[in-house]
Amino acid sequence: MLSKKRTISELLNEWRYDEELKERILHWQTLEGRPAKYAPFPENLHPSLGKALQKRGIEQLYTHQREAFDLAQGGFSFTAITPTASGKSYCYHLPVLQKILEDKNARAIYLFPTKALAQDQKNDLNELIEQSGEEILSYTYDGDTAPGIRQKVRKAGHIVMTNPDMLHSGILPHHTKWVSLFENLQYIVIDELHTYKGVFGSHVAHVIRRLKRICEFYGSQPVFICTSATIKNPQELAELLTNEPHQLITESGAPVGKKTFLFYNPPVIHKTFGVRRSAVLEVSDLAKRLYTAGIQSIIFAKSRVRVEMIVTYLKELTRNKLLDESVRGYRGGYLPSERRVIEKGLRDGTIQTVVSTNALELGVDIGQLQACIMTGYPGNIASAWQQAGRAGRRQDEALIIYVAQSSALDQYVVNHPLFLLGSTPEEARIYPENMLILMDHLKCAAFELPFSVDDTYGEYAIQELLAYLAEEGVVFKTSDKWHWMSERFPAHDISLRSASQENVVIIDLSIPAQTKVIGEMDRHSAMTLLHEEAIYLHQGIQFQVEKLDWEEKKAYVREVDVDYYTDANLAVEMKVLEEDRSRHHTGGTISFGDVGLVAQATIFKKIKFGGKQDNIGSGTIHLPPDEMHTSASWLSFDAPTKWSEAELDGAMVGAAYAINAFIPIFIRCDSSDVAVVPQIKATHNELPTFFVYDKYPGGIGLSEKVYDLWGELLDKTLQHVSSCPCEAGCPSCIGVQDSLNESKGYVIKLLSYLGSQLNNEKER
Amino acid sequence: MSYENKILQMKKMLGKKSTTQPKAEQPAYQKPANPSYTEQWEKAGLTVVENDFGIVFKRQVNYSFSYQHGHYQLQSFFDALRKWQDADFNHPYALDGNESVLFFDTETTGLKGVGTHIFLLGFLEITKEAFVLTQYILADPAHEAALLFESKLWQKTATIITYNGKSFDWPQLETRWTLHKKTLPKLRAQRQIDLLHSSKRLWKNDMERLKLKAVEEEKLGFSRVGDIPGYLAPIIYLDAVKSGIPDALMKVLLHNEWDLLSLITLYSHSTHLLFEENKEESAKTFTNIGKWYGDLKESTQSVKVLERVTTQFDELAAGDAQYYLALQHKKNKRYSEAIDAFVASLHFVKPRTKLHVLEQLAILYEHQLKDYQQALYYTQEGIQLIQNNEQWSMEQKQKWVISWEKRWHRLGNKK
Repeated sequence: MLSKKRTISELLNEWRYDEELKERILHWQTLEGRPAKYAPFPENLHPSLGKALQKRGIEQLYTHQREAFDLAQGGFSFTAITPTASGKSYCYHLPVLQKILEDKNARAIYLFPTKALAQDQKNDLNELIEQSGEEILSYTYDGDTAPGIRQKVRKAGHIVMTNPDMLHSGILPHHTKWVSLFENLQYIVIDELHTYKGVFGSHVAHVIRRLKRICEFYGSQPVFICTSATIKNPQELAELLTNEPHQLITESGAPVGKKTFLFYNPPVIHKTFGVRRSAVLEVSDLAKRLYTAGIQSIIFAKSRVRVEMIVTYLKELTRNKLLDESVRGYRGGYLPSERRVIEKGLRDGTIQTVVSTNALELGVDIGQLQACIMTGYPGNIASAWQQAGRAGRRQDEALIIYVAQSSALDQYVVNHPLFLLGSTPEEARIYPENMLILMDHLKCAAFELPFSVDDTYGEYAIQELLAYLAEEGVVFKTSDKWHWMSERFPAHDISLRSASQENVVIIDLSIPAQTKVIGEMDRHSAMTLLHEEAIYLHQGIQFQVEKLDWEEKKAYVREVDVDYYTDANLAVEMKVLEEDRSRHHTGGTISFGDVGLVAQATIFKKIKFGGKQDNIGSGTIHLPPDEMHTSASWLSFDAPTKWSEAELDGAMVGAAYAINAFIPIFIRCDSSDVAVVPQIKATHNELPTFFVYDKYPGGIGLSEKVYDLWGELLDKTLQHVSSCPCEAGCPSCIGVQDSLNESKGYVIKLLSYLGSQLNNEKER
Repeated sequence: MSYENKILQMKKMLGKKSTTQPKAEQPAYQKPANPSYTEQWEKAGLTVVENDFGIVFKRQVNYSFSYQHGHYQLQSFFDALRKWQDADFNHPYALDGNESVLFFDTETTGLKGVGTHIFLLGFLEITKEAFVLTQYILADPAHEAALLFESKLWQKTATIITYNGKSFDWPQLETRWTLHKKTLPKLRAQRQIDLLHSSKRLWKNDMERLKLKAVEEEKLGFSRVGDIPGYLAPIIYLDAVKSGIPDALMKVLLHNEWDLLSLITLYSHSTHLLFEENKEESAKTFTNIGKWYGDLKESTQSVKVLERVTTQFDELAAGDAQYYLALQHKKNKRYSEAIDAFVASLHFVKPRTKLHVLEQLAILYEHQLKDYQQALYYTQEGIQLIQNNEQWSMEQKQKWVISWEKRWHRLGNKK
């Protein structure tokens, strides 16, 4: 290979005539660039702020930054949709600093999903403040804040940068120590809004309701400023999260360079089983081509292990050069100083290729790169765009290569470029009405301030729930108020990262003297993922579960290096408890409501990686059945005539597998957040039924959305299964089949049968 | 049914408003209704006090000056006051004869956070005739403003003497006050004397636990009979409010009363110690006292106390005292006395201190006495001590050895 520097367009020209690549690149798509749209500085912009911006070489604002400034000044809460590198932080820094410069008593809270992000933003903000030459105090407040300066942050911090967990357990329950903050709170900034989804987002929605309650007590009415990556429902999410009407800023004024997207599918090496060459190897080859062409690139891989594999492979290129650091790995958990070194190397060009886990996705400033390779679909469109946004900042031409892995979703994406490039990203769902989550925060709210007998909490009427808490003996009713009356500190019992508080704690025994807790998992998932002998993946590292103490909810694991994974069977019984909504169509019904399910883990298989996915062992799981009350949507239908029970059963199992894989296309979630259970004879109506349920007690709003989506969901699934090149089922479509049977054909027939029935409904 | 399922069943009880209407203007403070058990609590011996904000229950007990609590009579406090007036040095625990004093202790429903209520404010004050205990008991959480107002802490000026009050009782009181800032006059800032802090200074290395109860038993000669443990107080109050039955609550009042009485005698005892009146204490305690004076820059007082330790106790017990004494001598530029004291301490202090002693000796010999032979000797001793120690980490040892070897090389050149 010639080691000669080329531009992206030169390189692409070569690739057009490369036979091997031509076959594997299924689609070339070019998005034309767009020049910047500017707006002048607002007339009333404080001179010190103008000065600071000018020091940074900024003479005018992008239109979205100006729009943000004007909305904030007008007292409107708003959400700005901001692509990577569009200068989103000015959307909140400018109005907040302006307000503080006008009124030294004014205060603001910045909320970031993680501690690390708050740290990064603090440095940026402090630099801006320094350039303004004004004295504005901004601090991070989290678990790492030294006790010595906490007092100062509480009393004097103009801007407090924190995370929801700290707000929940470290600030709100002690609000009397923060009087000057709450009395003068003008702005609440929520950065990375799209990360507040699912269980975490539902918890945070309550933390914000509690925060607003406290603000009301102290007489402040803060304006919310949110920034979000592109999702389908930013306004809905922002309004549900903050319980406040939001304006929306959708048009970014930042310039965009020309972007070329390549959709690359590794070649099939085993036709019958639909096995393709490993995406990691393909990515490594592509990265090598970019490296030798002198193109600065970033490679995304999903796990640490894959990052290491690709780095090792690429380091071969620099083996003969001493002290060459031009290829670097990057993953979460790096110290800020290490990150700065990498960021600097990228800027001055000593680093040419950086291989990263998704850690880089969030807010790390690595400057401009020319190309980006994604190893597999990162799970949702917003993340994909954030990764793609790493290439071609400003007006430069950029190259983005998407390399598909063999999963159903990956294969779908590589075959449907418009899915990624079109304009329909997923919805981010939260469900603050989850009773478990709501009750947890109702307790915290009662702890923080008493409820009057005519109070509501957020948009909820909660008097009856308070009466229940009184019965339970944690609140006490006096003539006109409900008071917290227990020695407990409820925020400590509640983790924002899980719905049910009865989690299984995962304990790493690898180093005998240093056993440590490495994670938690909800009970329901633990049955199939943490049973004894299971291989548990944690940040890309394999662990084997040695002992699962179900009574104590503890799983003891040890690091291992094996060439198989485990897959457990879960037998699920579904009971419909309440049907909230339903609609009929020819030969069937679609419903949504509450279900009670009894799940029991039965057996597990050990399956060898890659190749034919050989089953190399199995075992029985001995765990008691677990009950869960959650929400579900279900589709019942009349069995197709002349099908045997076995045929129908096989088809339903395969279809369920495929449907499950496609839910994340519509809703921003992991395929493990929901489950699809086929029942050939449902207990409540004796009909064949597919249940889609939320895998969190009380539900998290995902299956509720599926209720509206059945038609499209089945369409997409059918399309994909029929176009999958395998002969009789593979991991990319209906799952590996035990023998070469006719299942795939039956799955296709069943899906088109159901599809036509649903279409009938539409026509009527 | 599991907790989870029970909660989920309640979904039907959750009402939802489509829009949130702004709440009507809050009316001015409304006096809450009296709790149903008011009479019952009065029968148990509590008095009802009514003010603009509601009611509060009150209990008052007078103690004569000669009342005996453990080893001390309460009037021992007056001796302590006299001592401070006659003292020729300053000390943060000194009281001026004219300042009014308030011994203060609370009982709460929890350990921290806004959801923790103070349900009992206990005060002990001194009048011309007696020591007067006053306890204010929260009638129910709705009557909190009444409780706080009645405490008069917005009005009076007094030095507040507590046990751990600086970081617990007082901030907790400030929290409660903040919640009523719209209705109540401001809480006054007061001078604070926290006897937990002084107990730590006095009995560090001597007592393992510094719970007030332990101090009472070991130092004040008072042991409680029939006391309820403090951690039960929250549950007892909650139960009293829910059931209306005050019997167990009265025991919490007694518990609080004992705490307050002990505060008086603890103050007396501590003062006696600071003036070396009590000879029964250990060498450790007096060494602590000497060190404390040293830290307060009361060198004369520090030297006096430490020297007495070195004459009254054996070499082993006086090791630390010699060490602190040496530091005082050095500070006062009395180098040969400093060297003598350092040498006397050398074999009776912990390794970490010993290393510091050797360093000090090396420094004094090198820079003050210019005796490089001796300085070199102590430097070698220091290096040896580091190398032979098995408790310190390799990393730490390496760092120390490097700096010690620098000194060693320098001294080698000077020789």
